Amino acid sequence: MVRFKNRWLLVEFVDTSTADVSTGNEPLSTRSLDGRLIYNALRDSVVTNFGDTGWGAVGMSLTVKYFSPTTNLCIIRVARDHHRIAWGAVTLLTSIHDVRIIPRVIHVSGTIKHAQLSAIAHNREVIARFRTKLKNAALHHDSYDDYLARSTREIEALQD
Amino acid sequence: MHFDLNFPVTASGSTSQPKKNKGKQPQQSSSTAFTPAQIKGIEARLDLLEHLGYTVIAFNQSVNKKIDPKTHVNILDELLKQLRARPGTVFLKRLTIVLDNDSEKGFGLTNANTSLVEPYDVIALLPTTSATFSLACLTHSLPSPLTAHIIALPLTLPRLPFQLKHTLVRTAIKNGTVFEINYAGAIGGESDASLSTFGVSDTGVSGKRNWWAAAREVVRVTKGKGIIVSGGVASEADYRGPKDIANLLTLLDLAQNLAHDASVAVPKSLILRAQARKIYRAVLSEPRLVVPEAAQVVPPTQQTRDGENIRDNVNVSQTSSRSPPNPTLTLPQLGGSKKRTCDEVGLESTVNGHVNKKIREIANVEGKSRKKKKGGNRERAGAV
Repeated sequence: MVRFKNRWLLVEFVDTSTADVSTGNEPLSTRSLDGRLIYNALRDSVVTNFGDTGWGAVGMSLTVKYFSPTTNLCIIRVARDHHRIAWGAVTLLTSIHDVRIIPRVIHVSGTIKHAQLSAIAHNREVIARFRTKLKNAALHHDSYDDYLARSTREIEALQD
Repeated sequence: MHFDLNFPVTASGSTSQPKKNKGKQPQQSSSTAFTPAQIKGIEARLDLLEHLGYTVIAFNQSVNKKIDPKTHVNILDELLKQLRARPGTVFLKRLTIVLDNDSEKGFGLTNANTSLVEPYDVIALLPTTSATFSLACLTHSLPSPLTAHIIALPLTLPRLPFQLKHTLVRTAIKNGTVFEINYAGAIGGESDASLSTFGVSDTGVSGKRNWWAAAREVVRVTKGKGIIVSGGVASEADYRGPKDIANLLTLLDLAQNLAHDASVAVPKSLILRAQARKIYRAVLSEPRLVVPEAAQVVPPTQQTRDGENIRDNVNVSQTSSRSPPNPTLTLPQLGGSKKRTCDEVGLESTVNGHVNKKIREIANVEGKSRKKKKGGNRERAGAV
């Protein structure tokens, strides 16, 4: 069976306008990004670093499936054969649309299922970090609960 | 547990020296104090490194050309005192000496300067000419209080100025030295600021291209064995997580497991080996002198008996059979982990700081013969 295999990369964009968890008030923060901008930046990165051949190897299958500005989490799908090229291009990204970032791949999986699980776990972690920063106990029903529920639904709705 | 062994640190005010100062006294600590803003910046970077997953970080102080007892100031001690302690992170101190044409005659890594070099945990050399490169590979990788355990190569120079000769590299790796790849060059940000002041790096697009070429060459010549990867990052936004860096290394034709080792296993054994610098003759074990009940403890005779038994024990350990019942000296039960990981250093197991000189001399000879041939040489030992 010659199945078309993919790799799902979970990328976290660490904001460097402030190195720690940003409060969201800085002018150039990742809140202004969206999936399209990321795709464009990724395409440029592949072409600069790996040339047209690199783009040819990866371009047809490269898709940005999900991006959340709150937790800076991005899910990218690439074909398995040359996923390292795409991964390298992600690492070599320095800025997206004038926002300086540090891309960090937190999980690579072959199926969407584990990518979803990992993404949900990551979201929860980040929200927990936000909360400790604001010194809120998790019992308080703040806007984060709403966000968590929404994002979990969005992630689980992802199709291959 | 991931290692970043190159966290460049530059002192603020220690570069210019008052001319009146005859240089006989070391500079006062006030001139190398780190301003609170600098400390804050460093703490922020350490937070970032922690977030990315690095647990062991070595602060790197760079010295140009040679290390001069008169002008050298250890800025890292100052820095370490001012940083808050982080549980789960280990800080180390590292000194890098940039070698260029002027350093060919000698750059201060001599016995006289041992006290200068001692507080650092790791020493690195950065050769920029072929002569200094062969110097670094051959003479300075032998175990001694002055071994340079890391050879860092300037990867962003246009056309690596010297050819990495396979024999030199192999000798260095056999002696336990390790070659360092700084990933800052690939990201293309301004790499280590101290490097550029020494005129040794090139930034921008051509710097990146040279990095890919040179790094690939390093991987080819070392066959992936003695490589560590570290930051060398000057600006914060160029840091990358360890798995991402490992992936970049696979793009250099380095096997996946070796790429992973380059930031985990190899630096770990490197640091353990670097500790050997501070210990006499690279002996890392914790020997125990066991005085048996029956023996009459008469120092002169015990000496000679110990001497013979050392030879026996060395041979026994080499063949790694179970130790025969030994009346005077037992094979000490070591800090076993330390012995296992430092395979490259010819380890003795019987030198003890308390034991007197005669035994040390004997152990010296054992050490020399052992290092020459890994299996050890009974005849030579017996001939002593």
